[in-house]
Amino acid sequence: MVEIIYNIAGIIALAGIVIAFIRLLLGPTAADRTVALDAMTIITISLIAWLGYMLGRKIYLDVAMVYALISFIGVVAIARYLERGL
Amino acid sequence: MILTIIIVLGILMLAAAFMALYLKDLLSAIIASGAISLMASVIYIILAAPDVAMTEAAIGSGLTTIVFLYALHLVRKKQEDKHD
Repeated sequence: MVEIIYNIAGIIALAGIVIAFIRLLLGPTAADRTVALDAMTIITISLIAWLGYMLGRKIYLDVAMVYALISFIGVVAIARYLERGL
Repeated sequence: MILTIIIVLGILMLAAAFMALYLKDLLSAIIASGAISLMASVIYIILAAPDVAMTEAAIGSGLTTIVFLYALHLVRKKQEDKHD
């Protein structure tokens, strides 16, 4: 029962990545693509935590934490660039 | 399930690579290259290499994006100075 729920959660996370990627592919402006990349990053962090459970390794949670911190800095840099700052 | 994740992420990575190659807007190409490193990081984790994935996350998504944006900013500033 628990395995079924975890599999459904993985499928939903993967579908979320695909849908956010479609917006990344189609998005007319750069701001659309930035927001799509940010959403994709957050869903990917949940997917990494999911993989840490499914493969039975706690060290993967550290990767998820590092990725969350670093991708936040990247998105902030893109946002500053869009405002002509940097 | 794991194999499905690898196949879907591989296809998305290929599409993001073609985006980074063929988009005319350079900022969108930089964002697409960030998406490539995002999905490469997950594939490294599935291949049981968490340290490589952590390095890819720090360098590919953080440092490369910021350095590319800084270079694009400098190039645009130089072009605007030349037009004036």
